[in-house]
Amino acid sequence: MHSIPLGVVAGLLSVAALTHAAKPPPSSANQQRIGAGRLIYQQYCASCHGAKGEGKPGWQQRDAQGELPPPPHGPEGHTWKHADGMLYRIIRDGWRDPFNKTKRQTMPAYGQTLAPGEIRAVITYLKTLWTPEQRRIQREESRRQPFPPEAQ
Amino acid sequence: MVDLIMTIKQRRQSLRSLWRLLGMAAVFVTILAGHGLAGAAASTSFKDRIVALEFDSATGTLLKATAKTLSQSNDQGQTWTRVALPPSAAKADVAAVAISAGDKRVLYIAGPGLGVFRTKDGGRSWTAANQGLPNRRVVALTTHADQADTVYAYVTGKGIFRSQDAGARWRLMDRGPREKILHFVHSNMPGSMETGWLFAATSEGVRRSMDCFCGWHKAGELVGKVESVAYDPDEPQRVYAGTAKGLFVSADGGEQWTSMKSPASVITALTAAPSGVLYAGANGSLFLSRDRGETWEKVDA
Repeated sequence: MHSIPLGVVAGLLSVAALTHAAKPPPSSANQQRIGAGRLIYQQYCASCHGAKGEGKPGWQQRDAQGELPPPPHGPEGHTWKHADGMLYRIIRDGWRDPFNKTKRQTMPAYGQTLAPGEIRAVITYLKTLWTPEQRRIQREESRRQPFPPEAQ
Repeated sequence: MVDLIMTIKQRRQSLRSLWRLLGMAAVFVTILAGHGLAGAAASTSFKDRIVALEFDSATGTLLKATAKTLSQSNDQGQTWTRVALPPSAAKADVAAVAISAGDKRVLYIAGPGLGVFRTKDGGRSWTAANQGLPNRRVVALTTHADQADTVYAYVTGKGIFRSQDAGARWRLMDRGPREKILHFVHSNMPGSMETGWLFAATSEGVRRSMDCFCGWHKAGELVGKVESVAYDPDEPQRVYAGTAKGLFVSADGGEQWTSMKSPASVITALTAAPSGVLYAGANGSLFLSRDRGETWEKVDA
């Protein structure tokens, strides 16, 4: 029988731990939240951001009105760069790009439409579209800007 | 006899070839010498060129960097005190200087080959702050307008790195705009999804991104090389660009640019202070405006 060096075992365990840590907690509560978030996403977000979160073509460039088209939510987009607190605020309050030449909101506000728990559920669903590394980075960002108390 | 004649002819040809070679070598040496002199002249002017200006609004201190020196002035550039640089700066050039927001007054310098250094005691001691950077080719550095510990560094060919612990650790945020960044500033201009904006002076105009790094966009139609950008701390939508064709200003966050009165044809460094004060470095000279660039005076020889 071959003996495996302790260092290799420790390394493998560390990798396993990191891989595991990069995934959202596999609790049933979290799974329920992801499922609810998916449904809310399909109802309120998919028409602009795409059924699979693929965004609008040309999302990186302003259109003729100076508006930024809805970005994708997957690894190629920038949603994962935002902390939980900021994502929550953007969905709740909306956001208008100051260089938008129209009066439209770039991202409409859903604070009157969705309950705090529903907004959090959508964000929890969006996290399933990211890579483990992106989830890890976003979790670090969220330490400084967590969900607000109303969504805890 | 015939052999003798051939040998003499061959020797003559060899001698001619030798003279030709010597002549060419002399011309080559002359060209090299001339180039060396020109190079020396160029390096002299490069040595004195103001590469970065930074104004500390909290203390009223103006910082001025050349490739090999750092100085500070508390009287709008009338008198200067040298700030000691770390020993590594003897081997690599300074390209950027920035001071932290808040009360900590952490001063940073950076440069290609130098990496990032910080001092908390006005230059008496410097600490290298490169953990997480891929190499030391840092050509631009800026501090967050409001967050004391947040710093941004641009590494050529790699992208923009951010530290939120005063340079202790860095993390790649994005690759930056397609164009090469020469200088950049963090601005607290309203309207960002996150906490502010980054304005970059690039090899081809000004580029702008929210500090969430959600994408770099062209800021207006300013074309050509922009050496430096600055914004008015009292009115952050008012952005200035120092270029090889003088100064330009935008009143709407970089959408529209207009040429403004410039103290020199080429502006190499720029910074704005409260109450409409502007400082512009034009190679080795420093200029001051107290009226948002309407009039200029030379304050430093």
